[in-house]
Amino acid sequence: MTSASTGRRILEWFRRRGENVAAALLATIFVTFILQILFRYVLVWPVGWTLEISTLAWTWLVLWGGAFIVREEDEIRFDILYSAVPGHVRRGFIVVSSVALALLMIVSMPAAYDYVAFMRVERVSYVGLRLDHAFSIYVIFATAVIARCVMRIWLVMRSPRTDTAKGGEGQP
Amino acid sequence: MSLVTPFGLCLVSIFGLALLGLPIGYAMIGGCILYLAAAGQDLGIAAEQLLQGLRGSYVLLAIPLFVLSAELMNVGSLSNRLLQFCNAFVGRMRGGLGHVNVMQSIVFAGMSGSALADAAGVGRLVINLMTREGRYPKSYAAAITAASAVVGPIIPPSIPMVLYALVSDTSIGYLFLGGAVPGLILAATVMAINATMARRRHFPVERAVRIAELPGITVRAFPALMMPFILLGGIYGGVTTPTEAAAIAAAYALLVSVLLYRDVSPRQLYAAVLESARSSASIGILIGGALVFNYVVAVENIPTSVRGLIEGYELSPLGFLLLVNAILLGLGCLLEGITILLVIVPIFIPTAEALGIDMVHFGVVVVVNLMIGLITPPYGLLLFVVATISGASLLSVIRDVMPFLVALIGGLLFITLVPDAVLWLPRLLGYAG
Repeated sequence: MTSASTGRRILEWFRRRGENVAAALLATIFVTFILQILFRYVLVWPVGWTLEISTLAWTWLVLWGGAFIVREEDEIRFDILYSAVPGHVRRGFIVVSSVALALLMIVSMPAAYDYVAFMRVERVSYVGLRLDHAFSIYVIFATAVIARCVMRIWLVMRSPRTDTAKGGEGQP
Repeated sequence: MSLVTPFGLCLVSIFGLALLGLPIGYAMIGGCILYLAAAGQDLGIAAEQLLQGLRGSYVLLAIPLFVLSAELMNVGSLSNRLLQFCNAFVGRMRGGLGHVNVMQSIVFAGMSGSALADAAGVGRLVINLMTREGRYPKSYAAAITAASAVVGPIIPPSIPMVLYALVSDTSIGYLFLGGAVPGLILAATVMAINATMARRRHFPVERAVRIAELPGITVRAFPALMMPFILLGGIYGGVTTPTEAAAIAAAYALLVSVLLYRDVSPRQLYAAVLESARSSASIGILIGGALVFNYVVAVENIPTSVRGLIEGYELSPLGFLLLVNAILLGLGCLLEGITILLVIVPIFIPTAEALGIDMVHFGVVVVVNLMIGLITPPYGLLLFVVATISGASLLSVIRDVMPFLVALIGGLLFITLVPDAVLWLPRLLGYAG
């Protein structure tokens, strides 16, 4: 099982780096906001770039976080039925909903990519960052969502007795 | 509304996917992609709405910042010092820890953005205090924690209010003010019930803290007590926007716990930042899904249809408010408050406006209603959380939460019928509505 445990270690390593990025994004929102307040009220020198950076960091935080660090148990879900059904039915639920979400994300991917790529015509005004680069996080997010769906299906199929409702087995 | 239209398909698929256990944010994104496909629209619109909506909403930045302040306060000793302070003052009364429970909610709750997180954070501390040595029944400790967690987000600061401000284009500052008086009334009601229950069920009295100790305890808790003043003073002094105030609150919590008290290690600090990132992202995905769904709702002109439908019944503004209350309380038994706020409430806003209902009044009524939904059996998320934390059975918690629930619904009725209870304070401070 060495290869499996190596695989797990690699996944774990990636998960930690994903968390580092998310924490850094939140810290960025916080720090730029404090800078903005300092510039505006203490130095009386309003600047525009702070707001641009913090709103972009927020956008990234939501999509990056949703893709890589939000655990199954942190998700806001409507589990009145999901948690009431027996394990084998729940596994069926997981397969059906994951297949549906993965298909919808795959089908919409080319259009989403086109939209993001089209945004190269715009730049974030003060920072000068190209908007297609800033928005590329959506493509990363959508890819991660698809990968997570596939992984969840695979896990349910492979070990039919695993209770996938709890824990972060589906995390990349 | 036929189900074979693209919009019907969208609703059915969102509901179906959510029922199958998919997180609600993803169910909404998925359902809306299906809508776009069925309506022959560009599928890239989902990405566009999500990205532009998140990037364009300045008010939403208050969410990660409030969540961060709440985390920083919990990880350091701020919350604990505050509990000691409350205990020194109200602990000596019969049922004192019950009062402590409500008082700490008044000061802090609502910042984390979710009554659930409040109950799981500071709520856990209070439940432990109350049930230690079997002083209070577990079910009662759980019930009053749930009731006070409901009151928390009505009193500013409050993330549900921030979200309502987003969907209704109302000033957050005035919304916060509007929540203050009703929130305090509800808190007083919960405390009154606690006092009655304490007498009837012979709950213990805490050791009276000697007068000589009070100054020391106050000094120890002083930095924590300053938090609400810093936050609200900044907003109402007209100095900062609510979002900036949220950043200042987080900076203050950081300074106090890391530099002044020195009781937060770098590792704990990182953990607090990471946890905040996680819960912000989890709320953010739901908001993202709602942004896409609200696009669909707007394209389909749903609010106008609802308005037409309701106008057909010639409801008075009051009749409409009561109807909305009934609908939301019903939905609150099934769905989480933030979801209803972002998805269902926008549908009612144009009608409320057309009927001349004040948007701040409407917002406070809606938020109070959604908070109550969290403790309404059979499906109240808060009930599940406090039952788990306290180790009491769900049934016993439901039994003990009933008096609070009845009183809170009474309070909701009161603020629905008496708009001035909400609007008095905002008007005093310059609200023109």
